Amino acid sequence: MKHNFRNWPVLLVLFIFSLPLLIMLTFLVVDTFTTKVPGTLVPNAFTLHHFRFLWTDLDDGRWGIYGVTLNTFIFAASTAAVVTAISVMAGYALSRLSFPARGFFLGSLIVLHAFPTVTLIIAIFLILQILGLYNTLIGVIIVKTALELPFGIWVMKGFYDTVPWEIEMAGVQDGASRFTVWWKLILPQVQPGLMAILIFSFLSGWSEFVLPMVLNPGTDAQVLSTYLATLLLDTNTNSDFNLISAVGLFYALPVVIIYLIFQNKLMNIYGGGTKG
Amino acid sequence: MQRSSWLGLAFLSPALIVVLLFFLMPVILTGIFAFTNMSTATGVKGGSYVLNASSLRALTDAGLPDVTRSQIESAGYRVDERGLAALAEAHGQAVAEEFSKNHAGEVFTKRRDVERALKDLSSNPIRKTRDRKAAADLFKRSILNQRYETLDAFEAALNEAGIPKPDRPLITEIAYTGWTWTTANFDLLLSLDSTWQYAKNTGIYVTFTLAFNVVFGLFLAITTFYLPAAQATAFRAIWFLPRILPPVLYIVMWRWFTWDTGFISTVLSGFGVSSKNWMLDTEYHAWVTVILINGFVGASMGMIVFSSAIRAIPASMLYASEVDGASRWQQVWYIILPQLRWPILFITSYQTMSLLTSFEYIYLSTDGGPGGSTEVWALAAFHTALNNYGGNLQYGLGATYALLLVVIGVLASLFYLRLFNFKNLLTKPRIEG
Amino acid sequence: MRISITNFTKTFGDTTVIKDMSLEIESGEMLALLGPSGCGKSTTLFSICGIHRMNAGRLRFGDKDVTKRPPQERNVGVVFQNYALYPHMDVHANIAFPLKVRKEPRAEIDRKVLEIAALVHIEELLQRKPSQLSGGQQQRVALARALVRKPDILLLDEPLANLDAKLRLEMRSEIRRIQQQTGITAVLVTHDQVEAMSMCDRIALMNKGDIVQVCKPKEMYDNPASDFVAGFLGNPPIAFLDGIANDGEIRLANSEVALRLPSNVIDLSNGTQLRLGIRPEFFQPENDMKVTGKVSFVETQGREDLFDVTLTNGAVLRSIQSRGGDIKLGDEVTWGISREHILAFGPGGERL
Repeated sequence: MKHNFRNWPVLLVLFIFSLPLLIMLTFLVVDTFTTKVPGTLVPNAFTLHHFRFLWTDLDDGRWGIYGVTLNTFIFAASTAAVVTAISVMAGYALSRLSFPARGFFLGSLIVLHAFPTVTLIIAIFLILQILGLYNTLIGVIIVKTALELPFGIWVMKGFYDTVPWEIEMAGVQDGASRFTVWWKLILPQVQPGLMAILIFSFLSGWSEFVLPMVLNPGTDAQVLSTYLATLLLDTNTNSDFNLISAVGLFYALPVVIIYLIFQNKLMNIYGGGTKG
Repeated sequence: MQRSSWLGLAFLSPALIVVLLFFLMPVILTGIFAFTNMSTATGVKGGSYVLNASSLRALTDAGLPDVTRSQIESAGYRVDERGLAALAEAHGQAVAEEFSKNHAGEVFTKRRDVERALKDLSSNPIRKTRDRKAAADLFKRSILNQRYETLDAFEAALNEAGIPKPDRPLITEIAYTGWTWTTANFDLLLSLDSTWQYAKNTGIYVTFTLAFNVVFGLFLAITTFYLPAAQATAFRAIWFLPRILPPVLYIVMWRWFTWDTGFISTVLSGFGVSSKNWMLDTEYHAWVTVILINGFVGASMGMIVFSSAIRAIPASMLYASEVDGASRWQQVWYIILPQLRWPILFITSYQTMSLLTSFEYIYLSTDGGPGGSTEVWALAAFHTALNNYGGNLQYGLGATYALLLVVIGVLASLFYLRLFNFKNLLTKPRIEG
Repeated sequence: MRISITNFTKTFGDTTVIKDMSLEIESGEMLALLGPSGCGKSTTLFSICGIHRMNAGRLRFGDKDVTKRPPQERNVGVVFQNYALYPHMDVHANIAFPLKVRKEPRAEIDRKVLEIAALVHIEELLQRKPSQLSGGQQQRVALARALVRKPDILLLDEPLANLDAKLRLEMRSEIRRIQQQTGITAVLVTHDQVEAMSMCDRIALMNKGDIVQVCKPKEMYDNPASDFVAGFLGNPPIAFLDGIANDGEIRLANSEVALRLPSNVIDLSNGTQLRLGIRPEFFQPENDMKVTGKVSFVETQGREDLFDVTLTNGAVLRSIQSRGGDIKLGDEVTWGISREHILAFGPGGERL
């Protein structure tokens, strides 16, 4: 089908359009390892100086990068774990179990799934203040979990829907309780979904910026996104792009690695699920 | 109730609790907060009652009679039964009786005067200054600059100071430091010029970004469809990166690209153009940058959705069109695009929603600048309530801005419910036991 | 274990699928629930095993009322149409699952699994995953899993529908052998009359949520209770002639042809609407009650030939004959009906 068309014009146009992104990505990496004479773009020496934040604390009383990284990991990992655990249960209930007002819950799920959560940030900020969870990592984790949940439940429900009913019926007939059926027979069938939710919500937590910025602005439990943002918005540092890029590269490394491993799975979930 | 009902509810309950607390509550509370004057000054929890210089000024402005005003000011130290009893307790009946004989019913405005009166007692029974100060305080009845935690305590104090009853509600209202119910936010919103500016900015932002997202998403999907697999994968991976990279890092790259020491400036300086900040120097540049930043991210989503829709078109249809002699352009126009109607509708409605409400990228790149020219509605809500240079965060007003978005969000979500053909989802569980 | 269903009703939303049905299944018997799709036979099966709840009526296993019992407490083994093997477990684990759920000791489980595997001839497959098995093997595993815990009742939901023709023949006799060896009460749901007739002791023929007839296969074939039963059983199918009774004869609709009625219905009053069923094997050249028509269809089936003969009024009779003649399409033939084998039905389809 494709042989009677020439590819190179398309390729050229695509390449030109992609050029800004390619340049940004290339220099993001190049800049962090080299020095340049100001006003030029060609690097003249290799250096690890821009990665100094890895072995010395940056001046002005910022937290060490490793503490911030640990916070970020705790934030992303616990969000992912809780979202997955709750989604795996709620998704099953919505897909397979009968209980009062099931239709209503399903409808609410769709509504929540499509709902733009950023609009709630002001109310959530005030709720956390009232609950006394403002400026704590745990508060941000809970909020992030809540906002990711509708998506997680939706995806999990989709995975459960594809498991044949007969497997469940057979399990019940074999004498197993509904809980045992779920745990021993159905859960193993939806493991791909479980992995997808886990990866997706980890990445989402790792990249999250608005929630930690608004709900956890203190320096005690900073995460990498807010750490990088302060470097970027602080007039003392905001033109030192070598340093900022280096921190950014360090920050994005896990994301890129996970992306490279699970590329196809992620493309599906970003495309199929509507969140993002 | 079947037994699986219990399991179902048990399985659902963690999700329910979290969702109720952080979805339903915020939606309702946004509506509630919009009708309050909550701000940094009023605090979030209930307030207390304080009369100070500024509230006195406010009272005068509100038409408080001067008599009452001077009553408030002069209600300093009053030699009354209660004070005398306390004095007797601390320093003996005799002292109290003598003090009562000389000064009963008198009002002192300053503590120093009370101390002097105590000192002037015949035997000078309270010798230490510190004790005298404490004794004077026993008669303190002032309500100025005092913090009363409850309404009852404040009213009792007004009563004691002898403030006339008709004036009390006004005084109570002004003395209250906490937030109160009000519809002033809506009036303010409608009267401010900036409101219309935000609405206009949002219109520009959503329209242009959306157009870019859909058109460029289509372009990427169609072109990569025709490329050999390896090249297509490479381009898809490049264009997927803006979505997968953390937003802050993505903005770092853009800021570097447009900064006055950044890429564009450096390249153009070779052609004699003086270096400048290409993101923030003019309104026009700011808009182009904002739209491209959001557009690149949105296009990747369009690309993924459209690509899978194109791949779902039966290959035989494409072969047939080629046998019929269609050019590639005709193939795209007559075969592929008609098949993408639903995905395009989906992307359009979904992205409209998320663009209307998102402010993350704008906040990190232009922060609404230069001079508020890229300040969109959602960013204004955020700035008003959560992040401004003045430091007085107006939660109530911000919630009013957000309320509009919440209402749009709820309506759009209900629209989705229809789009998803809800009835189909309602198949009953097949195990009834 | 004897199964007794009384006044069973099942509705889904507004649609009533089964209404007031009663059925007795004897201990050790294999009964077929036979009927066209949508007749409620699977609903009945799922209600017996407890996956569906009965809206009304009672279900007893032996003396025990199990109407309200959940499936887990009914001790019923089920083989599903698609076998429903657990994909993540190997064959051994699949068969052992019902025993594991009952927390039986390990050694006991292993012993029972091997025993049942020997019965269904899958000893060498125990370490394989379901995806590595052929359809017939999966079927055997499903049977083993259903039987391993010695259920009171075995239910089979279209067990042969997913197999190819050759395997179907093999599994037909295998299932029957295993049922007879274990002596278990079994219910087979099928839409295939051959399956029902060849495997089961009795057949319950269902139509539109009701049981039309319950009896031994041969009896149902020879002595159908209605024209629906007569039409459902038999391949090639029975042919029907409509007409009106007149002096011990039937006058066919829109035709001068009159046929003598069989002796059991000869005294019908004149003018009664009638429907005669004539099976292909009883419309043969040598029979005496002659009818003339044109051959409108010929099908060679190998050992036998099948003919459709269209009468002058448009009615069609079917005949199956051993090969030999050189009858061609369009030939006019005069063949005879065996009078005493005619099945006569009343205007409502009921047997006369």
